[in-house]
Amino acid sequence: MKLKHSFFTRRQFLNGLLGGWAGAFLASFLYPALKFCFPPTREPDQVVLPFSDFEDMEPGSVRNFSWGTKPGMLKKRADGSYQAFVAVCTHLDCNVVYLPDKKKFFCACHDGWYDENGVNIGGPPPNPLRQLTVNREGEELIITKKSVE
Amino acid sequence: MGNMKTEIRFWFDERLGISSIAGFLRKKMVPQHRHSLWYYTGSAILLFFAIQVVTGFMLAFYYKPTLEGANQSVARIMTEVPLGWIIRSIHSWSASFMIAFVFIHLLSIWIAKSYRRPREFTWMSGVFLLVFTLASGFTGYLLPWDELSLSATKVGTDIPRSVPYVGVWVTKFLRGGEDVTGDTLTRFFSFHVSILPLLIFAFIAVHVYLIQKLGMSLPLSVESKKEKVKELPFWPNFIYREMVVWLLLFGILMTLAIFLPPSLEKTADLMAPAPEGLRPEWYFLFLFQTLKVFPPKVLFINGDTIVVLLILAAVILFFFLPVIDNKPAEKKGKVITFFAYVFIVFAVAMTVWSLL
Repeated sequence: MKLKHSFFTRRQFLNGLLGGWAGAFLASFLYPALKFCFPPTREPDQVVLPFSDFEDMEPGSVRNFSWGTKPGMLKKRADGSYQAFVAVCTHLDCNVVYLPDKKKFFCACHDGWYDENGVNIGGPPPNPLRQLTVNREGEELIITKKSVE
Repeated sequence: MGNMKTEIRFWFDERLGISSIAGFLRKKMVPQHRHSLWYYTGSAILLFFAIQVVTGFMLAFYYKPTLEGANQSVARIMTEVPLGWIIRSIHSWSASFMIAFVFIHLLSIWIAKSYRRPREFTWMSGVFLLVFTLASGFTGYLLPWDELSLSATKVGTDIPRSVPYVGVWVTKFLRGGEDVTGDTLTRFFSFHVSILPLLIFAFIAVHVYLIQKLGMSLPLSVESKKEKVKELPFWPNFIYREMVVWLLLFGILMTLAIFLPPSLEKTADLMAPAPEGLRPEWYFLFLFQTLKVFPPKVLFINGDTIVVLLILAAVILFFFLPVIDNKPAEKKGKVITFFAYVFIVFAVAMTVWSLL
């Protein structure tokens, strides 16, 4: 049955209503299921390290620390100041290694190279290594996420 | 006695309808011609899949999908469990064989144009099976949880990230978070032992049903001939021939599995740098090499994004091949055949290059 001014019949209307309701009902189950599949991210805002662990580093050398679930690297510059990197290749997420004799970071997965300041200089990496801010407060090194500029 | 046997058979047939299936199998004919060797590739895949299911069940008796236990439990399978090393070796080799035959099967159908009307859905269900099979290989590679498999998984799960908008969520979904962690391992275990096998079973059912419904496809060169094509009954003649092929393949598989068992590196360390000489499994080498040699930036666009979008476009074109090449079955398709050979040359060249 269809009224004169109506765009659709009563059956179409009721079917649409029922179908829409069924779709919305199923979607309400999909949302929590999807939510369940994505655990909260765990990248820390800051990491606190005891300074004593890094005090004896040779200038130009590098030592690892844990930046959440990613490896971090603390490098001592020639002037004695510290520089911190997330030691993960910007190409496809492999962990990089620092080669002190070459003064370069190297990613073995696809031959990616970075200079000693983490700038990408060879191979597929599209961006420099992510840098972190290092602050010394008494006997502690505070490594923090660089604020987005 | 004979009477009783008939009665029992009748009792079961009344309830299960076996006679109609048996009747179908008796009537089913397989064409015999110069190219009928390709018909055996499908059942070879089924053989290797069956081996994967059985050895997979067995490995799951001892395997522990945890950060602490995974590598150790595989080491235990390799050293302590009676004949464990053979079972793992068969599982690993059979995976390679299955994927190799999937590629052969697919290329033979591509070149013979067997995907044309009315077999479009058979092809499409096959493309799904290809994706699920490769995904099984990829997820299974992580489970021993050694240095190589960790880095390969980091790279593999990071690839979708280059796709604008949805890519980040795909990567997060695959990894169970921002990074590859213990959550990724349990997730991959779940994909590998339950989700993907169920999907494969379901799609094999559709695939095989369609093959039965539509009958075997004939290659162009055979179909265009005037005389009638010779045929072989499926049961028992063709099955016996298939069994001979299976026995042969099983022999080769066992020989390789016994003499070349897979290795197990030391347990993965999430903080350790990627090991040198990192390589994915052989069937991903051509993609690996493409990613490696592609320039990092092309006109300000990230090189990986281009590669990933190209791969995605290729898979979509591939899936819709029967729609794109919708000529009648008896027409030749030289361009499509040409692309098949381009693909073969590209994949082989890239694979060889990555091994240099």
